[in-house]
Parts: sequence; C-alpha cells; structure tokens
Amino acid sequence: MKPEEIRKKTNKIDRELLVLLQERMGLALRSKKFKETLSDPQQENDMLARAERLNLDLIKSTFTRRLLKTIIEETKRLQDEDRSLAAFQGEHGAYGEVAARQLVPDGAYIPCLEFIDVFRGVEDGYFDLGVVPVENSLEGAVTQVNDLLTTTDLKVIGEVKVAVSHCLLATEATDYREIRQVFSHPQALAQCRNFLMRNKLESRPYYDTAGAAKMLARENPRAAAAIASSLCAELYDLEIIKEGIEDGPSNSTRFLLLAREPHPDNGDKTSIIFAVSHEAGRLYAVLKLFADAEINLTRIASMPLRSDPGNYSFFLDFEGSDKNEKVAAVLKEMKGLTKWMKYLGSYPADKDS
Amino acid sequence: MKNLKLVARETKKGTVVKVADVEIGRDFVVIAGPCSVESEKQILDTARAVKAAGADMLRGGAFKPRTSPYSFQGLGIQGLKILEKAKQETGLPIVTEVVDPRDVSWVAEFADILQIGTRNMQNFSLLKEVGHSGRPVLLKRGMHSTLEEWLNCAEYILSEGNPDVILCERGIRTFETYTRNTLDLSAVPAIKELSHLPIIIDPTHSTGRISLIASMSMAAVAAGADGMIVEVHHKPQEALCDADQALTPDMFANMMTRLRALKSFLNNQPLESNGKMN
Repeated sequence: MKPEEIRKKTNKIDRELLVLLQERMGLALRSKKFKETLSDPQQENDMLARAERLNLDLIKSTFTRRLLKTIIEETKRLQDEDRSLAAFQGEHGAYGEVAARQLVPDGAYIPCLEFIDVFRGVEDGYFDLGVVPVENSLEGAVTQVNDLLTTTDLKVIGEVKVAVSHCLLATEATDYREIRQVFSHPQALAQCRNFLMRNKLESRPYYDTAGAAKMLARENPRAAAAIASSLCAELYDLEIIKEGIEDGPSNSTRFLLLAREPHPDNGDKTSIIFAVSHEAGRLYAVLKLFADAEINLTRIASMPLRSDPGNYSFFLDFEGSDKNEKVAAVLKEMKGLTKWMKYLGSYPADKDS
Repeated sequence: MKNLKLVARETKKGTVVKVADVEIGRDFVVIAGPCSVESEKQILDTARAVKAAGADMLRGGAFKPRTSPYSFQGLGIQGLKILEKAKQETGLPIVTEVVDPRDVSWVAEFADILQIGTRNMQNFSLLKEVGHSGRPVLLKRGMHSTLEEWLNCAEYILSEGNPDVILCERGIRTFETYTRNTLDLSAVPAIKELSHLPIIIDPTHSTGRISLIASMSMAAVAAGADGMIVEVHHKPQEALCDADQALTPDMFANMMTRLRALKSFLNNQPLESNGKMN
C-alpha cells in the first residue's frame, strides 16, 4: 500500500465510524420512547464487559472502556436534549428527509421502510412527527399517503414544497468517463431519460434514490453512478458530477408534517377530506359554500373510497384557519351536506410555494 | 475548394448561431474570460467584471491542451461546475474547450459552445464527436493551416449534422518573433467570400502582447468580423497560464468603450455598410 492509499483508507474508516455512531445515536433516541428510566447501570456494565472480552490485540481493554464510556455519556446528553423524532419514508438522504430537515430543523430524522410505518409510528408514539409526500407536480397524488390520511387519525401541522433536483452521483474514485450504468428509482430514471441517452448511460432500476446512493457508497460497483438528491452526496460521501439533470422543467413534491395533536396556533391554511352522497349537485353545494364565503381553494383532489367502491373522497385545501369565523361557519354548514367529513388541520402555509 | 458541400458561400445565406439571446453572425459578439478556470473566486470575479463591461459570453478552459506536460492541465469537471455557477449568476453563456472525444457529451452538459483548439483543428474523431453533440462549435484555425484545410474541418462538423459552427482566426505561424503568431486579418473577408459561416478573431493568442490587443480588435471590427474571443483575468499576475497576455478588467472595459465608439461610427456612415454591426 502506498502512503496515499493508506491515508485514503484511514479517512474512509473514520467516516464509517462516525456514520455508525450516528446510527447508534438514532437508535438511542428511539429507545427513549420505550424506556422507563434513562440510565440502566446493569446493562451498561454488561455491555462494557462484553466489549472488553473481545480479543483485539491492538486495542487495550482500558481504551475500550474509555471509548465506550464517552459514547454512552454523549448518548445520554443527546437523550436529554429532547429532540423531536421525525420519521420519513426511504433511506437517509431521500427527498422525504430533505423535506423533514426543512420542516423540523433540529430534529432527529428516522428512516422508515413504508409510509404506513411513518403513520403507525407517530400514532403509537414511537415518533413525534411524520413527514409524507402528498402530491408531485408531474406525477400527481401519492395515493398510498392520501389513503392513509383518510384512514388514520393524525393531524397536519405543516407543509413544505421541495424542488426535486436530481444529481448524478459517483464515488470519488470513479472516472465520470467510465460510467456506464446508473442506479436509481424508476421514476427518477424516467425524469432524466434524455440526460442518460445523451451520455449513453444505461438505466438500472433500484428500489429508492437514496438507497441507490447508499449502495454505491458501500459496494462501489465498477463504472456505476446513482441519481439522487444532493443531500445524499453529503451523507454518503459521493461526488456530484452534475446537478439538475432532470429533462423537464423542475418538478416539486409537496410534503405534509403530521403529528398526533393539531397545531396550537392559528394556521393560515386548512386541509379537510369529505365524501358526499350520490345525488345531483351535492359536490357543487359544498363548493358553493366556499365560493359564497370567498374562501380560496388551493387544492381539490378526488380519490376512490376504498371502503365504498363507486364513491369518492375529496381532498380540499383552502386558505384560512379553522379558528377564523368565516371558515368555522362554512365547516359547520358542510357537516349537514356531506356524508362524511374529516378535519386534517390548520397550519402555516409554505410561503415559498 | 470543390469538396466543400455544406460550408461553401453559395450553399446558404449567412449562418446565424443563436445561443440564448446572443446571435453570432448578426451582432459583433464579445467572448471574454480567463485562459483557464483556476478557482471559483477567480471565475466569478472575472465574469462579473466582463459582464459589467459589456461582454456577451464567458470563456474559460477546464481542459487545457498545454505545450508542456508539466504545465497546469486544468480542473476538469470541477472547472465546468465553476463555469456553470458563473453562468447562473451572470447569465453569460459559457464557451469552453474540449480536447478528448470521451469528454464531449459531458462538456456539452455544462457548456453552451464547445471550443476546438488550434492544436485539435484536424483531430477528426473529435470533430465528428462534436458534430453530434447538439451544441454550437467554435472551431479555431490550426496555426499552420490554410483556409481550405480549415473549412474542410468545419465541413466535417456540418456533415455530422451540426450546422452551428463559428470559425475563429487565432493567428498563424510566420517568421516574425515579436508577436506570438501573426493575426491573419485577411482571413475575415476571405472567409466571408468562401463560406456562410460566422468568423470571429482571437487577438490574445495571435499577438501574445497585451499592448496590441485593442488595436487588433478595432481592426477586426473594421474588417467585418462577427466577434472576438479575448482573455481577461481579474488578477493577470496571478494567472496559472498565459499570465502575460490577459487583459485586466479595466483594460477590457476601456477597449470595449473604444469598440462601441467605432461600431457606432461605422453604423452611422451614410455609405453602404455591410450590415453586420449594430
């Protein structure tokens, strides 16, 4: 090994140590939701003893003890900080995490495999907050999430629009001229089709954009790159070869911030879901209430009711808080006109959108 | 010049290459910037300065064909990213050189115009590659090349389906040693007779002397050139290459004022004008 290589390898190991520590801290914060008492001396001693029994000739047991004690102390300090646990779907670096970082600036961001894990986790109190996408400017509604909004009992307390800007990422060692295959979520690959064709790159579908970036960093396959967010470049130590490689005009995804309790203050935007009976003019009657009260609607979407095929639920976002008299009056009147109605929450609108 | 099927004068009226709002072949277009991209600050400072002085596009090399293998070879893709940033800030389109056929599609992702340098004029595999890059090409004249050889190289690019070629006279080798090369200004009207392609001049590499740049630029305007490409560095004494031939932003601004005065003088002449200047 040349000195240069040794230095590079050492840097990589340092990085991996820190990433693992970060993962450990995340787990400690999650465990806080279960534990009755924060410190468990017996468990701590067991852990230290186990670690000392490892026969590592270069690492003295006194050093092991010192190191782990330091880590435990830092973990306790972090647990005392009382950070909000914000769950999102996808691997670290997913666009959901980009949204979560904007909505919850000092949070701890917890990746979940499925949307339902985010909803259930918040409902059951394992997470404080959830961040989920509701619609994309190119692809439309995220039906799974809209369905979960209908069936679970969480409140919307915030929103953010995240501009989806795809980056071509590769490991530092990869020469861009040798890249042949590009891994990413099929939707991201489709949004960058012209870019891939111009540069004669082969698409390789992967389950997740951030997952592709993570795989690249861990396995470093030959002649490969990934399409993912610029956050992934930071998290997985990848080089950004080109930013903004999507073909079309920039697209964006709107994310909602979910919690068990509604927003404590007056929001300036409200979301509801409702269903009306199958009679002429029912939907019109509801919308007329908003028109007459001069309330501006910002989104109307319909989705088949899973519990009642042939009927639809309507998603309505409008300007104003439910604490506003005009809005409250409309909502009250609506109850008589709808078969079913659910108030999702009033929250501060994303000013940039 | 029998073999010129696509670039010959009689085949087409004057070609106008459009890049954003800039029309090469209609206006006198000024492309300015440093020899090579050295740092973000250097490019941004220079880009702001040349924009303020009235430049239409920004030049800067990320891949450098250098005479010596030990000279600074350029920042590569890192340099392209810096140029992209300067474009986002100033709105100036980017002209940058490509030296390797394998780099063409990548450079085309960042640059608005691909430059083929004098040493690569007859690099036919590179010419074919830029011929289907989808970007306009600035083709510099080989320092030992005749007009016919040069036009044949342009023919290569057009025959690959890319009509947007801009020719650039950058000086030819003669026995004169006071100047770095000899600016063949007669190439400007000669190309106008032979071809419909726009032609600009490079007063920097042709003279290699700061003191001669402004005069040669004035001469190019008078000769009917479609523009010029000139080296400007925010701190020439610190430049990593061609330090002794780059203009300072002040010198550049001063030259631009004189060029504007000359253009307006020529435009206001009651006599027949060639319609190329505004």
